Amino acid sequence: MRETIRLHWTDNDLLEGLANGSDAALNQLYCRHFPMVLHLILSNNGSEDDAKDIFQEALVVLYEHVQEGTFVLNAQLKTYLYSVSRRLWLKQLARKGRYGTLGSDGLIESTDFIAVDDDLAEHERRDGQFDHMAVSLGKLGEPCRTLLEDFYIRHLSMQDITEKFGYTNADNAKTQKYKCLMRLKRLFFSDYQE
Amino acid sequence: MKRDAMKPETAKRMDEEKKIADALDGYGRRIVFKEKVALVQASVDMGTMREQARLLAADAATSVHSISRTRQLWKTYRPTFAVAAAVAIMTTFATLFLVWYYRNSNQQQEQYSMLRRDVQAIKQSQNRILDGLSVRRKSLITVNPGQVVGSSFLLTPDGYLVTNNHIVQGADSVYVQSQSGDVYKARVVYTNRGYDLAILSVAEDSTFQPVKTVPYGFDPRPSDLGERVFTLGYPRDEIVYGEGYLSSGTGYRNDSAAYQVAISVNPGNSGGPLLDEKGNVVGIISGKQVATEGASFAIKTDYLYRAIEAIPNDSLKGQPLKLSRRSGLNHLPRTQQVKRVQQHVYMVKVFKHKE
Repeated sequence: MRETIRLHWTDNDLLEGLANGSDAALNQLYCRHFPMVLHLILSNNGSEDDAKDIFQEALVVLYEHVQEGTFVLNAQLKTYLYSVSRRLWLKQLARKGRYGTLGSDGLIESTDFIAVDDDLAEHERRDGQFDHMAVSLGKLGEPCRTLLEDFYIRHLSMQDITEKFGYTNADNAKTQKYKCLMRLKRLFFSDYQE
Repeated sequence: MKRDAMKPETAKRMDEEKKIADALDGYGRRIVFKEKVALVQASVDMGTMREQARLLAADAATSVHSISRTRQLWKTYRPTFAVAAAVAIMTTFATLFLVWYYRNSNQQQEQYSMLRRDVQAIKQSQNRILDGLSVRRKSLITVNPGQVVGSSFLLTPDGYLVTNNHIVQGADSVYVQSQSGDVYKARVVYTNRGYDLAILSVAEDSTFQPVKTVPYGFDPRPSDLGERVFTLGYPRDEIVYGEGYLSSGTGYRNDSAAYQVAISVNPGNSGGPLLDEKGNVVGIISGKQVATEGASFAIKTDYLYRAIEAIPNDSLKGQPLKLSRRSGLNHLPRTQQVKRVQQHVYMVKVFKHKE
């Protein structure tokens, strides 16, 4: 699929590109908005690496929200990313115990921000779920773990998997995959119920 | 199989299967996305990024959002100040508490407290002193810190009184004030430290009118345990009545010169009379044991006699001191007894001049 070369990306173009997995859109997003977040973090007790981590997480928040299909942008994309980055950084500072040196009014701001509490709450919930997933995958052991990761993360085809793991045919591989998935399911939900 | 025709366990299983598949999908997507972002991060030119960040900083400095340096510092360090202030306050209170605690934990004084009342300013009494025709205006107005207040009562009609030694000890001047507010200057005739007694005289004060008779008698014989007794004194600026019974034939730490009395007394009652039901003075209130409830002490009348016998003749200045052994209050109801006795019970005010 040939990607349209855009001369000028609007906010909506960027969002669309993000939803479609466009690398160009992601690049644009990064170049346009990272300096702002870099400036925010550096002015508020952070390092360049901190800025990179925060911005990456902010992009994840945006991306996953867009993936859900419910995302409606009410402000500028720049404002949204700034607001999310800001809250993430505040949370980070609070966790590290460096919050105190900033004062209760908090950050040295450079622009206005909007309320993003709901989005961040949702993000936190997903974080928890994915952490739990990582733990459950860890408990799974081999060959299940690699099998599932190959399928779901690396998106290898059934054929590739059959070859890689040495199953007799694709159906066999599918059955194995299903069995592994069931084991993961049991691990995942048993802990959840605790 | 339609969903609602399934068993609940099966439905649950199908739900969970879908959930785990979705969760894995989401998990995978996130990891892939994060890797993509990392790739972009690595490929981007950090120099350009920094430059643009600096430009934003320059913008911010001139924008409305910038805050002055001092305010920034204040905002930055406000919590530190707050913590420092909190620590300072807590330390102050802790120190004050320790000082208070050490002052109060002086064991010996706590055990046996002498019933003197230390008063800073007695404005009320000063007004009463000024009232009354028979009273000279005296310069008691000067507020003299270290005034001690206790009680005393007439021994004889011509103006001998008794009180505790600890009340008048070290005093530069002693005054007594009657229930009606008349004030007389008292001379300390004799003090007996061992029995904690002091004999005063107001005869030298020309405004003092000797009374016809002293209604109570002084019985030196030992009283019985359980004897009902009462006292009058000045734990406040008004005369206060209290009653109780004799608890023991000895006083604090088996002091043979005193009784232990179950009676409610307070600082200011020291020096007041302890009378039995017949209206005989059986003792002089002297102190109370703080730790034990209701344990107060009174010096036995027998020892009052002994103290009087020990007074050198010169101190008496020609005026004999003889106690009456007969009570004129026998058979009277308590309230009548109190009415007659209270006229002869005086508040003692002691002045110690500042060094």
